[in-house]
Amino acid sequence: MRRIIVEYEKCDGCKNCSAACMQAHRKTPGTIYDLDLTDPENESRNYILKGDDGTYRPLFCRHCDEPECVMSCMSGALQKDPETGIVTYDETKCGSCFMCVMNCPFGVLEPDRMTKKKVIKCDFCMSDGQEPNCVKSCPKGAIHVEEV
Amino acid sequence: MNQCYGCTTCESADKPLEGFIKNLPLETSHHRVEGQSTKCAFGLQGVCCRLCSNGPCRITPDAPRGICGANADTIVARNFLRAVASGSGCYIHVVENTARNVKNAAQKKSGIKGEGALNKLAALFEIEEEDMYVRAEKVADAVLADLYLPEYEKMKLVKKMAYAPRYENWEKLGILPGGAKSEVCHGVVKCSTNLNSDPVDMLKDCLKLGISTGIYGLTLTNLLNDIVLGEPKLRLAPVGLRVIDPDYINIMITGHQHSMFTYLQERLTDADITEKAKQAGAKGFKLVGCTCVGQDLQLRGAHYEDVFDGHAGNNYTSEAILATGAIDAVISEFNCTLPGIEPICDELKIKQLCIDSVAKKANAELEEFDFENREQVTEEIIDKVLLSYKERRGADCASEERVELNLMEEHGNERTLTGVSEGSLKEFLGGNWKPLVDLIVSGDIKGVAGVVGCSNLTAGGHDVLTVELTKELIARDIIVLTAGCSSGGIENCGLMTPEAAQFAGPKLRAVCEKLGIPPVLNFGPCLAIGRLEIVATELAETIGVDLPQLPLVLSAAQWLEEQALADGCFGLALGLPLHLGLPPFVTGSGAAVKILTEDMKELTGGQVIINPDAKESADILEKIILEKRDALHI
Amino acid sequence: MNYVIIGTGAAGIMAAKEIRKLKKDAQITMISADEQVHSRCMLHKYLSHERTAEELSFVEEDFFEKNQIAEVYGHIEVIDTANQMVDTKGGESICYDKLLISTGADSFIPPVGDLRKAKNVFGLRHLKDAQEIDKMAEDAEKILIIGSGLVGLDAAYGLIERGKKVTVVEMAEQILPVQLDAHAAKTYQELFEQAGVQFYLGCKAEGAVCEADGMIRAVTLDTGKQLLCDLIIVAAGVRPAVGFLEKSEIEVERGIKVNSKMETNVPNVYAAGDVTGLSGIWPNAMKQGQTAARNMCGVGTEYTDTFAAKNTINFFGLVTLCLGRIRQEEGDEIFVEEDRNVYRRLIMKDGVPEGILLQGDIAHSGIWQYMIKSKIDISSMKNKIFKITFADFYGIGDRGKYVWKIDEKMDKKTDKSRQNA
Repeated sequence: MRRIIVEYEKCDGCKNCSAACMQAHRKTPGTIYDLDLTDPENESRNYILKGDDGTYRPLFCRHCDEPECVMSCMSGALQKDPETGIVTYDETKCGSCFMCVMNCPFGVLEPDRMTKKKVIKCDFCMSDGQEPNCVKSCPKGAIHVEEV
Repeated sequence: MNQCYGCTTCESADKPLEGFIKNLPLETSHHRVEGQSTKCAFGLQGVCCRLCSNGPCRITPDAPRGICGANADTIVARNFLRAVASGSGCYIHVVENTARNVKNAAQKKSGIKGEGALNKLAALFEIEEEDMYVRAEKVADAVLADLYLPEYEKMKLVKKMAYAPRYENWEKLGILPGGAKSEVCHGVVKCSTNLNSDPVDMLKDCLKLGISTGIYGLTLTNLLNDIVLGEPKLRLAPVGLRVIDPDYINIMITGHQHSMFTYLQERLTDADITEKAKQAGAKGFKLVGCTCVGQDLQLRGAHYEDVFDGHAGNNYTSEAILATGAIDAVISEFNCTLPGIEPICDELKIKQLCIDSVAKKANAELEEFDFENREQVTEEIIDKVLLSYKERRGADCASEERVELNLMEEHGNERTLTGVSEGSLKEFLGGNWKPLVDLIVSGDIKGVAGVVGCSNLTAGGHDVLTVELTKELIARDIIVLTAGCSSGGIENCGLMTPEAAQFAGPKLRAVCEKLGIPPVLNFGPCLAIGRLEIVATELAETIGVDLPQLPLVLSAAQWLEEQALADGCFGLALGLPLHLGLPPFVTGSGAAVKILTEDMKELTGGQVIINPDAKESADILEKIILEKRDALHI
Repeated sequence: MNYVIIGTGAAGIMAAKEIRKLKKDAQITMISADEQVHSRCMLHKYLSHERTAEELSFVEEDFFEKNQIAEVYGHIEVIDTANQMVDTKGGESICYDKLLISTGADSFIPPVGDLRKAKNVFGLRHLKDAQEIDKMAEDAEKILIIGSGLVGLDAAYGLIERGKKVTVVEMAEQILPVQLDAHAAKTYQELFEQAGVQFYLGCKAEGAVCEADGMIRAVTLDTGKQLLCDLIIVAAGVRPAVGFLEKSEIEVERGIKVNSKMETNVPNVYAAGDVTGLSGIWPNAMKQGQTAARNMCGVGTEYTDTFAAKNTINFFGLVTLCLGRIRQEEGDEIFVEEDRNVYRRLIMKDGVPEGILLQGDIAHSGIWQYMIKSKIDISSMKNKIFKITFADFYGIGDRGKYVWKIDEKMDKKTDKSRQNA
């Protein structure tokens, strides 16, 4: 399977990956210049946390080998794709119970900000058919996709 | 769930205030710190360049130069010069307006409250005029003339104002400033796209801007204000949210240009205006001090006891002051008027008025200060404030319209020493500096630290580093002089009461107790950094040394804004060690860091010290003071 | 090899998938009394008409074909363990080499008055229940729900969506007594009340008499209060569905007794999910099913992640997470934080978190289950207790997995096993 690898030591906390993720998942078409950074519906699926020592700790969905979120999903919305290894999420199936949020051992998942009806989760930018948008966005080259 | 806006607020050195803000149903800047806690390292280091459409370019190991070829040193120096020029522009705007106000008052043969202050300046400027008003006009003109000189003509008052050894140093370095406004223009030209790329040259410009900012924007603004607003007098006064008296119609003032309030503050206590207030259900009008203009009013509070309630708090206390509900209007004329007060004013129906368009807030009404029509404008302002009071808490206000009060009557303290200036302090010491020099020589006072500048929310929290560092310094027998929003935080934490002597080291404590003074002396607004410089200069003169030799250090522990950077450059030009809690977005450049922290010692005698830890910072500053004492053989 | 699974709930379906993953050629048969696969946690969405019966399925439409699983509909008559045969009531006999019993649980109707025999009294456990309630609710005006646990409130939530007048009776002094403290419960109660639900807390249903037509039209509470109703939903807990095992050799206690490999006392017979009585939580049923399947396929595995005191709640867009212990005990240290959108309450004992309640904001809260389950000493982080994030334990393992990095001194768990991605 492929996994988004983040070399956290290189991260400078610019949150470009978060902006890129919002851009990749925005509802209306447009460029990064007109991405509305004040619209609460624009949500990033990755997060740059800060360590106590001031270093950055990027939090990205691991598409785990044995995903706890899938194990906790009572609607079948979350599935581990046996071919690609990607943990997919079908918003239309989701029952909005958020057991997946509780069961993600790394605290990656969260309910959506506005409706509390869906889960904000990395989809590997599969619909683009390209590299995940965060990978392209990192000015430090700290994010890449690796076959693992 | 309760009504609090959010439970994650930042820390404050002022614990009661921290609790108050945490429980507010309104969002404040203290609530927003958490959401902004992950900072972009490129921004922090100053290596993000947005000067052209090829950008933003950011420096990384794989991309050590921007597309244009600018390296980290150039990008950092350009960004820094831009900030310093901008900050200088702000202070020059303040002194320009102040000088114009002095001139206008003098032309109308009115409004001179500090003839002594006028005479001192006139003597310094070598202006000999029989008539007091003509004298005042010529003093103001001399300042204005310098401000408006072109960049290629040196300002004439610098030599008269500056300490001779300093002037020589500046002349030697080639950093004597031309016309102050033109210098700002020159600075912003220099750092624009694809012009200067020499970090040393640009940092020298910063020093030049520091000198014009310091002598004109800071020092002369105070001395001009002394002419029209009255000289500071020592007195004990209440501070904190307790000063707000809900029985009055309250106006919170924010900004830096006290002379713009001259007419309003006189008019508010006239009988007919008080009568209007009484008819609306209040006892009268009061001004509540906030930010530096509040500090300036507090400094001169002896002249304004009727209209001035006291200083409630600094820039990052302004939201809490408004949240008490007892403020009916905000009148602002400059920074630090936070944009975040706007939704609070909306929520609590507080009228916002701006009297200087440079500080026009989005939902404020502009009632621009206009000397010719000052009477009419003042009446308009008063009527608007009165209406606001009536609509939110007047006698006839319907109960569902009435704004709820959330006072904090216990906050702050009753006995903060205010009114400290180079003049009032010298007078207190018996008319000369010898007693202070003697105490320094004997070691009863180990040294002097100016803890100045702003308040921010990120160096440990609201005033946290400022207050902790101050405590560390006084515990080491180093007397602390303050100016700016740092004063607002320190005074609300009680360190400027005579009782605070107990927090000082044994020797300083004995001195304070003997004289009945606190170990931290409040010079008022950030502009009063200029007054500290006069004290330092006069001390140096008394001892017969240059400024860098004095056991004197500066700390802008919680510097906030571009103006502070221009102030800081003045400190460096004066040859003083300058401590900052957070780096001024320059650490991405090795050259800039080296110049500011090391090479500067050879150039002006100054140096930048960056340290976010109170104890470590105090250790470093104490060590510098001890080294300077050694060099003076005291 | 013949694998037979009884029940198509979380445990059964998970087991079937796992067996198929491990044994490409095995023959798998699933026997179910349900007409279709459905998620019990979503029955309220059927009541509210948000979803059709088909939309309650938690597997793909072609799940059985794709995985080559034979589907048999029917109730179980008997399990003949001596001959390794399962007989359905419909008369089918199915042989097995390995058998998994994952029949789940049934609603418990307390022996109060005529509740057990009335025609208008239902549990809400199976799709069939929901369908029957739905049919009767068409004409019902006054719906009475006994019990205000998650199932009771799910039912209420589903029915108020359709504009029904709903009354809830609860023995405890608060709603959701197992999941929430009184404060967090009150917030939900108010939301339900605003939506028109009426609560009777701290009272028990005592009398309920069937009328001649087999309907109960009034329930009397222990306070003497009489509540009129034309439809009653009982949400008073569940019991493992083990009735059909009476004549078999399989040992039953509270539920089917299993060891950590999910083996019953009878060779080649396994059990997983609610029928074991181990926990009533979806992810635990899934893990039990997976564990059973692996063992049935000869891959020795143990069921270790037994932590079951966990739930999430989402009504009216207000989300809540509750983990571990909610009731305060002596020696506890309680941390509370509250504002207009959020209520947080943590129980800590000897520096170790034992229970947490997060209401209003549960973003990134997954780390709490790990900290509680693993008994991590977080006393050094008291000053930022609700700001703890995975950043505080951030570790990168092989292949870019995240791992929990825990200081020796923070590790209060004897079992040092670490949960990795």
